[in-house]
Amino acid sequence: MIAKWIGKRVIMGTIVLIVVSFLSFFILHAAPGDPAAAYYGGNLQTLTTAEKERIAQAFGLDKPVLAQYAIWLREAITGNLGYSAKEGRAVSTILLEKLPNTLQLVGITLMILAIISTWFGLLAGMKEGSLLDRGLSIFSIASSAVPSFWLGILLMMIFSVQLGWFPSSGMSDVRGGGGIADRLHHIFLPVAVLVLSHVGIFARFLQDCVKSESKSYYVQVARANGVAEQEIRKNILRNAFIPYVNYVGVTIPSFFGGSIVVESLFGWSGLGQLLVKSVMVKDFPLLMGGVLIIGVVVVVSLFIIDVLMVVINPKLRRGVLRC
Amino acid sequence: MLSIDGLSVSLNGRQLINNVTFTVPKGRITSIIGESGSGKSMTVSAILGLLPVHAQTSGAISLNDKNLVEMSPKDKVELRKMHFFTVFQDAANSFSPSTKMKHQLFIFTGHKQGHSKMEFYQKMRVILQDLDLTDDIMERYPFELSGGMLQRCMLACALYTEPTLLIADEPTSALDMLIQKDFIDLLKKLNDEKGTTILLITHDLDIAASVAHAVVVMKKGEVVETGQVSDVFDKPQHPYTKLLLENHF
Repeated sequence: MIAKWIGKRVIMGTIVLIVVSFLSFFILHAAPGDPAAAYYGGNLQTLTTAEKERIAQAFGLDKPVLAQYAIWLREAITGNLGYSAKEGRAVSTILLEKLPNTLQLVGITLMILAIISTWFGLLAGMKEGSLLDRGLSIFSIASSAVPSFWLGILLMMIFSVQLGWFPSSGMSDVRGGGGIADRLHHIFLPVAVLVLSHVGIFARFLQDCVKSESKSYYVQVARANGVAEQEIRKNILRNAFIPYVNYVGVTIPSFFGGSIVVESLFGWSGLGQLLVKSVMVKDFPLLMGGVLIIGVVVVVSLFIIDVLMVVINPKLRRGVLRC
Repeated sequence: MLSIDGLSVSLNGRQLINNVTFTVPKGRITSIIGESGSGKSMTVSAILGLLPVHAQTSGAISLNDKNLVEMSPKDKVELRKMHFFTVFQDAANSFSPSTKMKHQLFIFTGHKQGHSKMEFYQKMRVILQDLDLTDDIMERYPFELSGGMLQRCMLACALYTEPTLLIADEPTSALDMLIQKDFIDLLKKLNDEKGTTILLITHDLDIAASVAHAVVVMKKGEVVETGQVSDVFDKPQHPYTKLLLENHF
């Protein structure tokens, strides 16, 4: 039963990846400009039409788009994502260098976000009408209205330029170090931007879940029957966490989107920064590889959230056992 | 045993119940009847000490000579915990959806009385059997049980805690006809065998007629008639009671 459920998820994830790669491939081809431009190096102006055609032929760019996609997909399934047009190295090698940096950034952000938003969301939700309750509502609107690039520049101006507490760019100090402390010192501002952009909304969502759960019929029945307040709260929190975890799950893809801006802003050498650079030079294989790997990470993250949902939601758990 | 004397409740300047007076004798089933909005459930909220924070209350609600209106919030919680048990209308939503029944039954009963889980399981198993419920419901979640089964689970809690007063607020409204009758029979049995005092709130005159000893008729927040079921139903005095009965029987 569980194997069947996992099997369904794997099939759905595979379909999602194929659709994402298909759409990305065609959107990239539909973009203006020569798809072979990245292969010309700095000789764009000097190459003859015949030479350009030869390059296009060598890389299969003269074939119809659908045929090109079929070739790309066939190779991708075998693990071959091609070679970067700009760097000349295997795309998979480049992606594996950058992926841990993005996972580190998003992972630390999610952990801090979960702790802070849970804490504030629960406290504010339990104390309806309190200063914290009203303050959180205002903060969540304000934080969601501020664009992350603007917040990033603001924090950079204050903590890097004015106070000099944190570096404004890079992942490690060029003068040495490179240990955990050095990495944390560099990751602080990028993480702060991602956390501040999301914490208000996350905490507000949990706050609303707690408030709505506190007004549930079963809570009134329990109170009317003198059930211990501690037990009632346990049930409120357990039930409020179900939609909250689901919400966190569906927002995970947006973190990878958000990390593109933050990585570029803070010079964090991750997938986001790589994608931006690839777009600039139209490095098609690298771009497709990047989109695919982010897709895989998102699909795997959503699978983990699905498993977590099954663990915390008995209705889903019973459904999985019955399927 | 429970005596309500001149109880009035107002909220934001609106009179919700006015000068309500009646008694619930020990070991009897007393039914409050009336249409929706007549103040039945508000009276129950007042008895349970669960009125909205800004509600203004006057009069007296006495349980064994203690005035509940003047009790501190802490004492009211203690009263609900040790002396009352209330079965509500919507059994399907009366339990937390993500917690197994064994834990919920425990916090409604044994936990309140300081029993160990072992003591609870032993006592509850016997009660569940009496109510034609099998042991395995303990391992189930509320969404896996029917409304009738959940309502019997509530009754199982009442049987376990043996409250001074069992309040049943429209307990059969959400049940189908056949299960309604079973449930009412169980209430009757509880009263007959254990001598449990029951305050039954219903808009269903058939149910009141079949199970209650005494009846309180409410209209627009006021008590218009009280008396033994046979007296009120055979020889109604108030025009509203007459109208209710004419429209029903």
